Amino acid sequence: MTTQTFHALRVLDAYNPIATAKTVVFDVPNILKDTFRWRAGQHITLRFELNGEEVRRSYTVSSSPVSGEKLCITVKRVLGGLVSNYINNNVRAGDEIEIMSPFGGFCLDPDGKKRRTHYFFGAGSGITPLFSMLQSVLLAEPYSYAYLLYGNTSENSIIFQQTLADLVEQYPERCVVRHVLSNRSVLTSFRPWRTGRIDTDAIWSFIEEHPPYAHDAQYYVCGPGNMNTSVKSALQDIDVPVTRIHSENFGGVVEMDNSFEGIAAKTTVILDGQSHEVHVARGQTLLQAMIAVDLNPPYSCQSGICGACRTKLMAGEVHMRARMALEDTEIEQGEILSCQSVAKTDKIAVVFD
Amino acid sequence: MSPIRMMHLLPVEAYTSQEWFEREQELIFSKVWHYAGFAEDIVEPGQYISVQAGLNNIFIVMGRDRRLRAFHNICRHRGTQLLRAVGKSQKAITCPYHDWTYDLEGNLISVPEEDREFPDLDKSCLGLKPASVDRWRGMLWVHPDPNAGSIMEWFGEIEPELGPHQVDKLVEYPQVRTTTEIKANWKIVVENYIDVYHLSHLHSGTLHMYDHAKAKFGFVGPHYVFWEPLSQWYREDIEKNVMMPLLDEIPRNKIGAWVPMLFPGLGLAENESSWSIYYVMPLAPDSTRVETRTKVKNVSSWEFAMQSWRSGSFWTRNTSAKYEGDAKTDSLATGDFMAEDVYVCEQQQKSLQSPYFEIGATAVSGESPVKEHQQIVLAFIEGNQQAK
Repeated sequence: MTTQTFHALRVLDAYNPIATAKTVVFDVPNILKDTFRWRAGQHITLRFELNGEEVRRSYTVSSSPVSGEKLCITVKRVLGGLVSNYINNNVRAGDEIEIMSPFGGFCLDPDGKKRRTHYFFGAGSGITPLFSMLQSVLLAEPYSYAYLLYGNTSENSIIFQQTLADLVEQYPERCVVRHVLSNRSVLTSFRPWRTGRIDTDAIWSFIEEHPPYAHDAQYYVCGPGNMNTSVKSALQDIDVPVTRIHSENFGGVVEMDNSFEGIAAKTTVILDGQSHEVHVARGQTLLQAMIAVDLNPPYSCQSGICGACRTKLMAGEVHMRARMALEDTEIEQGEILSCQSVAKTDKIAVVFD
Repeated sequence: MSPIRMMHLLPVEAYTSQEWFEREQELIFSKVWHYAGFAEDIVEPGQYISVQAGLNNIFIVMGRDRRLRAFHNICRHRGTQLLRAVGKSQKAITCPYHDWTYDLEGNLISVPEEDREFPDLDKSCLGLKPASVDRWRGMLWVHPDPNAGSIMEWFGEIEPELGPHQVDKLVEYPQVRTTTEIKANWKIVVENYIDVYHLSHLHSGTLHMYDHAKAKFGFVGPHYVFWEPLSQWYREDIEKNVMMPLLDEIPRNKIGAWVPMLFPGLGLAENESSWSIYYVMPLAPDSTRVETRTKVKNVSSWEFAMQSWRSGSFWTRNTSAKYEGDAKTDSLATGDFMAEDVYVCEQQQKSLQSPYFEIGATAVSGESPVKEHQQIVLAFIEGNQQAK
């Protein structure tokens, strides 16, 4: 299924886990159970009509696919953010929201036979995929270990604080959660593991205090801004092989490579098994060109983060302005993000599968 | 007398011939997860140990990310063993022969006089050959196959049958570490370990604090499991009678001894106050090294001294040697169950030379594990056993 199909899902429940975030629980009818089956770490795209315009946003499913919980997302307010504030202000039980089925390659698929140590490095709302992954490991990978290093600005911005504490109590041998706070309040009894940021020193100390028990160690990173890059380099500095590091960028700024504007190109698009000829104008992205001729390709965030619009380049060359959603190995195999790709050759062919 | 002298299900030559020994090294000891030490043997980046696992010499080293890596201990140049038994290196491993050097990921990073002597060398193809390593139940394990998969495929099913001991929280009692060379085939040593029938007889004065009549035992896959409760007279006043501080994690209704033998040669003795390993390492058809190490509760030596003092008179009253005699020259006069076992293993091995040797009868229940173990050995040798 490549074409984006939205389904209206009813909101079963909506509540505030902390003052600045809202958890929205969806009712998935039986007929859509397979469509909305998700892997820990995947996101869903929500579509709203706000101020007469269609807007889309991707949010990670924060519940674990193996816990029996309902599909839910947890959305933190972003200062000036259109959709996050809309959700926090307005969404309530009984509402219907247009949602596209789960996708995304930043996943952890638990395997009951495997014995691994999963390290999670998260900050702010970057916790949502990690939370789903961590729960899945504890529930469905009984021989594995889950160690979370979790950064927040202050205690009252920690989402899932209580649930995480409960998990540690329930799985004392297999689960570690350590909090790092950048602003530490003196008015609370809560004592974080460290004050400051998840920097190299914090990462190294964390690993030193909690060395891998099982030696198939995997590292998952999800945070805002350049946190992923800095965690990745701190890990590589102590010889963690890059193949063991998995990351997804969340919110914050993405470095854009606007060094090449793009040229006009004749493009063959194979979508849902149909071939289309599309003209990509100079400076236009592949996605923009396809939408302009009323094609219906999959897309979501339009900023290179979510990976919904990925397609395979069969001929020609493109320049990607941002490529956060793709691993290097995927790019080597010809994967591109259509929302970020401008043409470098005058003939291009892509296939959505 | 049958033309082939048998030891239950195996021919006597399985216990005496070099050919059988070599087949077992290849088909059993090179095919399964192999004990390599205690987790606390490697705690810092750069530390390493090497272990002989069947035909393979494998070393484990900890990287700066505190993850263990295992490699075959063979220089890719001319095959020299790189590392000796234990030690600590810095960031690199250098072969003593020609100074070829590898990083802790196994990559070949330096070759002396490379430009002149090896103008076309592709170093990236000459990294150390990886093996598998993991930590389970406080112990390090290696497997020669880098794609051995999860160690839990080998041990997962047996785990529920083991003691509730929290091995990682116990501490080693190094003074009681022993290494013994037994002049007997490794299977004789293992068969002695899993022979339930002999417990009340050979060890009548040394292991009678356990109630052998209530023992429960059997096999889970290739692994032997065993549990028996404490004898009533010892259990009654266990707080006073126990020689070392009691382990709290063992529920009172399960208190006793778990004594499994993990195939092919790692015995455990998990009891009310200690946790020990009994590592069986074949050296030759008629020679086996057994190493024991013991862990106990992590409390002060003062508490150990107090407990020993409290229980002292009980043990003086209740320990006795199999026979009276000079403990210096007669194992059976020592009152030490390990010495008793070594003695009978060596005596049995001696008899295998005799053309008159035969097994007269086998205890239906108490010696059934011996036959079952032989069956498992046979299955490996004949290639019917799925090893991992």
